[in-house]
Amino acid sequence: MQGQEVALERLGMRFGEFTAVEPTDLTIKAGEFFSILGPSGCGKTTILRMVSGFQRPSEGRVLIGGQDMTALPPNKRPTALIFQTLALFPLMTIWENVAFGLEAQGVPKAQRRKRAEELLDLVALGGQEEKRPAQLSGGQRQRVAVARALAVEPAVLLLDEPLSALDLKLRQHMRAELKTIQRRTGVTFIYITHDQGEALAMSDRVAVMRAGRVEQVGPTEEIYNRPATSFAATFVGENNLFRGKTTRAEGGLAEISTPFGLLRGENADSLALGEEAMLFIRPERLAPARPEHDLRLKAQVERADLEGPFFNLFLRAGDQRILLQLPNEGATPPEGEMELGFSSRDARVLRAGALAHG
Amino acid sequence: MGEMIRFYGRFLTGLILALVAFWFCALILMPQISMIQRAFHYEARDGAAAQAVLEANRLQQRVATMEFDIRALEREVAAGGAGAAPAAPSPSNPFAGLPSPGAPRPGFAPSPGGAAAEAPEARLERLKTEREGLTASIAGARAEAQRLRAEEVAAQGWSLRNFTLMSPLHWRIFGLTLVYALCVTVLSFLVCYPIAYAAAQAKTPRRTALLLLALTIPYALNELLRIFAWTMILANQGLLNQTLDALGIIDLSQGGAVRWLASNGSVFLVMVYTYMLFMVFPIYGSLETLDRNQIEAAKDLGASSWRIHWRVALPHARPGVAVGAIMTFMLAVGSLSVPQLVGPGLHPDWFSQIVNRNFFESNNWNVGSAQALLLLVSCTIFIFLVMRIFRVGIREIAR
Repeated sequence: MQGQEVALERLGMRFGEFTAVEPTDLTIKAGEFFSILGPSGCGKTTILRMVSGFQRPSEGRVLIGGQDMTALPPNKRPTALIFQTLALFPLMTIWENVAFGLEAQGVPKAQRRKRAEELLDLVALGGQEEKRPAQLSGGQRQRVAVARALAVEPAVLLLDEPLSALDLKLRQHMRAELKTIQRRTGVTFIYITHDQGEALAMSDRVAVMRAGRVEQVGPTEEIYNRPATSFAATFVGENNLFRGKTTRAEGGLAEISTPFGLLRGENADSLALGEEAMLFIRPERLAPARPEHDLRLKAQVERADLEGPFFNLFLRAGDQRILLQLPNEGATPPEGEMELGFSSRDARVLRAGALAHG
Repeated sequence: MGEMIRFYGRFLTGLILALVAFWFCALILMPQISMIQRAFHYEARDGAAAQAVLEANRLQQRVATMEFDIRALEREVAAGGAGAAPAAPSPSNPFAGLPSPGAPRPGFAPSPGGAAAEAPEARLERLKTEREGLTASIAGARAEAQRLRAEEVAAQGWSLRNFTLMSPLHWRIFGLTLVYALCVTVLSFLVCYPIAYAAAQAKTPRRTALLLLALTIPYALNELLRIFAWTMILANQGLLNQTLDALGIIDLSQGGAVRWLASNGSVFLVMVYTYMLFMVFPIYGSLETLDRNQIEAAKDLGASSWRIHWRVALPHARPGVAVGAIMTFMLAVGSLSVPQLVGPGLHPDWFSQIVNRNFFESNNWNVGSAQALLLLVSCTIFIFLVMRIFRVGIREIAR
């Protein structure tokens, strides 16, 4: 099993008047764990269906391992798809499920069975061969689906939000599991999700999509630390947003005027003077004011929720809501008015645009 | 029960229970019991006793005619005296004026011409002796009928004779009909499965609705008309032959008509058409619940269409196929109208036609019941076989 590169060239999909996917260029490296992250209806599943062959694109090409696959049906592509509903065959035993792809290839039964057992061992399901999908737990079914997809030795494994039906604990466990399987097999994984936590935890690189358009592609740290658009900044993780007009732009920094005075941050969009801008600062980069903070503002603590390792401090300054994550060091969280600070290096000024939630 | 009363109230519950009881007793239990009872009760309907009674009645009729002649002759003798001219017309009796019949059966076939030699007195004598003889044989025939009847009555009662007296031909027809019905079921499945699959997996709900509507529209037509439409197509001078004629494949004017009707092929064809919905809808119902993702998953794993149907879709449709097969088989095995209309002159008949004849032509309900019972038993066996083969339980079928 060897992963292959997937290249999308001007790939787009239109359903009548509705554009599901704008023409997109995207290259997914061989053996990479790549996530496409976006809210429902952003076109990520359509891209997946075009890569797997269930959807003929209305324009552009899909190349896998350098070969044009645009016209090939799903069963002729070196891809395997894991469905959101898993789509295990309920009337077949576990091993028959896993071996179904081999059965379709005409592999003799004894060999099929042996291979299915190997794969079930790989996903830690040895000994469950004779059960039926309904007799397994959600996480086990998940792993059967992975084993079934891997059985055909795909170069590219496509996963369509396969963890969304699982509960939180299991989901976190399966993240690690999937990542391990990906490392062990070297297959290219393309993972579709609306859960940014999943995308960040598992992926090598992430593409953030909105309304049929890829907004940002990059390694996970880059996506989180240096979001390219206001949408990416608000969709991935929590972010505090301050709106204002650019008043100064120099030395890679931009200064905007807000009701709380002038705030500065990295000028990621090379904003010019007078442009509408948004300044983003992550809740964990905000803190009670310290000497090294070059930016300060006063706010009223409204609520403090304990999350375990940290407190979520909900603050308000006029109409502005602010979220601050305070490490839980054993002290009771502050109350009443407090002064916050952050350093302009941690803030990011972007052109005003769409947000992830309202 | 208590739940029902709480739900529907006392009156409605009582009404429902009464209706159910009526339905079950009057429409299921009684007819079945009556049928089974008749099937095992032998009654001679067209036996020797009946023949003897018939013969006696015939003789009786002859005597009656004779007496009429005798009375006429007596009047003639009394009126004309010894010297009356035999040929003189008598206004009081039109028969007396007829030329004297010389035939042994006077009154029936008077011989033409007035050359009768026999005197009325002599004829009267002869007829009278003949009557004596006949009356005696009537008594004999009646006695014989009585005796035979007694014998038959002794033979009547509970027995398997209704079955054992069935001719080997009828048994063969019974077996063949089962085979035919099986053929119809299999053919119907082959035709209906793709249709049901297409309807269930149609891309849009609109397309599904259109397809199902198109399937249902022909059923708005009366069943007999639907079948008759086929006979118009398949008749010797029918649409099909005329089309072939127009295409130059056969020549109707040279008597080259292909005989489509009166063949089992056309009976199968029309039956598949007539009972199609009973196969389509159950299969559609079960295929509709098949997750489209499963088909896509199978396709994605490299399976061919055949394999997808064989391994994924068909196993899922099993309960529907079982229900469809059961319904189609039962309808086909008991179908009277189709073989009757499409297969006149078909040899051998379908068993249902024989049952029908026993009930409504021979008026022999007991043998008819026995044959109907055979059909019932074979249908029941078929149901269990299908459930066994398709590994479905009553519950899945009821779904």
